[in-house]
Amino acid sequence: MKKILALVLILLFFGISFSFAEDRTITVKAKKFSYTPNKIEVNKGDHVTIRLMSEDVTHGLFIDGYGLNTKAHPGSDGSISFVANKTGKYAFRCSVTCGEFHPYMVGNLIVGPNHRFYFFGLIILVICIGSAAIPLLKRKS
Amino acid sequence: MSKDKLFGLIDLDWRFEITKFKPIRALFKSRWFPLLLIIANLFIFVVILVAGLMGGYSAGNYNFGIMLVWILWWVMLMLVLVPVFSRFWCTMCPFPVFSDWFQRGKLFGVRLGKLEGLNLRWPKKFRNMWIMNIGFLVTTFFSGFFTVRPLATFILLGGIILLAFIIGLVFEKRNFCLYVCPVSGFQGLYSQFAASEIRRIDPEVCAKHPVKTCFTGNEDGYGCPWMLTPFNFEKNTYCGMCLECFKSCPHDNMAFNLRPPGVDLLIDTKKSPKGLDEAYKAFIMLGIAIMFYTAFQGPWGGFKDMVRATTAKGYFTYVAMHASFNLLILPGIFLFFSWLSKLFSKSQEVTLKRIFINFAYTLIPLGLGIWIGFSLGIIMPNGSYLLHIISDPFAWGWNIFGTANLPWTPVFTGLMGYLQGVTLIVFYLFSLNYGNRIAKQLFPDPDQARRAWMPILTFLTLITFIFLWLFLG
Amino acid sequence: MKKNETIAVGLMIAATILTVIGIFAIEKFRLAKFYTLNLTARAPENGNWYPQEFTLPYGQKVNLRIRNIETVTHGFAIPDLKVAVSEIKAGQVKSVQFTPDKKGTFPFMCTVWCSENHMQMRGKITVE
Repeated sequence: MKKILALVLILLFFGISFSFAEDRTITVKAKKFSYTPNKIEVNKGDHVTIRLMSEDVTHGLFIDGYGLNTKAHPGSDGSISFVANKTGKYAFRCSVTCGEFHPYMVGNLIVGPNHRFYFFGLIILVICIGSAAIPLLKRKS
Repeated sequence: MSKDKLFGLIDLDWRFEITKFKPIRALFKSRWFPLLLIIANLFIFVVILVAGLMGGYSAGNYNFGIMLVWILWWVMLMLVLVPVFSRFWCTMCPFPVFSDWFQRGKLFGVRLGKLEGLNLRWPKKFRNMWIMNIGFLVTTFFSGFFTVRPLATFILLGGIILLAFIIGLVFEKRNFCLYVCPVSGFQGLYSQFAASEIRRIDPEVCAKHPVKTCFTGNEDGYGCPWMLTPFNFEKNTYCGMCLECFKSCPHDNMAFNLRPPGVDLLIDTKKSPKGLDEAYKAFIMLGIAIMFYTAFQGPWGGFKDMVRATTAKGYFTYVAMHASFNLLILPGIFLFFSWLSKLFSKSQEVTLKRIFINFAYTLIPLGLGIWIGFSLGIIMPNGSYLLHIISDPFAWGWNIFGTANLPWTPVFTGLMGYLQGVTLIVFYLFSLNYGNRIAKQLFPDPDQARRAWMPILTFLTLITFIFLWLFLG
Repeated sequence: MKKNETIAVGLMIAATILTVIGIFAIEKFRLAKFYTLNLTARAPENGNWYPQEFTLPYGQKVNLRIRNIETVTHGFAIPDLKVAVSEIKAGQVKSVQFTPDKKGTFPFMCTVWCSENHMQMRGKITVE
């Protein structure tokens, strides 16, 4: 039983990262105050190219954690290329003041497998079940 | 009897008195102490108001008013001031200084006898959080303007200062702070979790002191402006930490203590009962956190368009959604879990209302943790704006500290997810720990308590997962 | 006691009235001393450049202060005089120094795509 559990955990943590690295090119359209697509999902190790196109004013795209930045305006596209070597969810945000909601112009880059999310989720689950079970165990003993 | 310990580690009765150090006690007893802080903050808020007025309709992210209020002040409140120092913001808050000055006729000295103004007593049915609950919720309808338009921030702050003054003319003492100020409500609620408190030291000393100068006042200090009874009050909610009781107590029997976070959550006495108003404040704060995160840190552009009122229809849909989510849906879901809790407990004595109210207090630690996570999402990407605006507060090309030309630089954004995850778990643990205790208080029978706790545990876990997904998923 | 009260009231006045007066006095002094002209940048639908036409002296060093009081980024250029400010972020201020070395009337314009009417965001500068 324990072995199976361990195996499941290992699969959860590393299983998905066995998939092969790909070249991914994603075109992101920016318009006040959102990106389309607003969610980019890639896998660890992928060579990612993000092409930024603006549909109205000058917008930027800064990726949290990776610290990469580009900008674009109608007629002039921006581009970022990088290897997705950090897993997790990172916001990408507009880096050129584009209007009053500029600080809130956000999209999400999710580099799978999202270890952090699974890890914290697992802890919460363990705490939840543990805190429910401990009084029961105490009563038995 | 074994002592009750938080996580089996910290004694719930543990206190560390900061004011036992002589210089700190002397500072707390000086009439200059909060006054100088208040005047310093007043100076900052005057600059904020000028910047807000001058900034007008322009972009908020390079405006001193917007950035100081919504990036620095709000984040400091949630990250440090409230969780650690309880209502220490109220100690230094400049908003009611004008009404104090008017009522007392003095800034520094103590006026003996009746204060100026009509001195009306606050109506009894409003001596709770409901005005602040509704006031704060209505304020958040306009958050798409307040946080981005300098002029809107000017109007909001100016309005609060004016309202504080007017209420000070009509009603006695600090009724504005107690029952109206929008910032007061959530500080009161979350200060129950805070790691510090002001309390009397020795009840014997108070018992032997026939004239309660902390309540009536004397030549060294005013009677509690927050209309508490410093000699025996039990929880932080309505203590504005104005430090007058340190000054008016002739026996130095008041203390500023560090304490285990959250002990006020267990208080449910006749003097300070758990109430539906505070329960609702907990829901409203949680609901606003969900709405704010999806609107301001989420990637959904359609929702942003509704919040910033591109169309009247979209905006009113948002207002209706926001209001009903906070006042009906979220409490409704919790009511369902409370009902399950009653069902599971098989208890006849404990009413559903009490279960609903008392367990709502378990949302206080988790809610505060969620706000901390949210605040990290503001300060880490946008904190660098602060360096710009302190050098050029009015966007006139000043460069006071030489930092006006620093570009926007998000810091440690790669770590943000980890910090948010850890914060969630820590505050989730606090919620569970206090939830267990609240269950045992509600149901004297341990088996009933355990069964009644299960649905609430499920609810808290669900909320934690929702935010884990929002922050990290 | 009386003395302390006076000090407190003094500090209070300094923090409010004197602060406001001080802020505007410093700004007035700075504007007169350091800048030739204050130029306000706004997208055409919100009022365009202000002033949209102005005159500068030939051969004399000028210092223009350009304030962007809007919510989008603008730029500034006078191609004929080889003057350019690549980016003036919303709510920010840039100053540019140059000596007009040609006489005549030249166009100046925004160089950052700021709105659908970006191409109309231009004005005239006369050097004489």
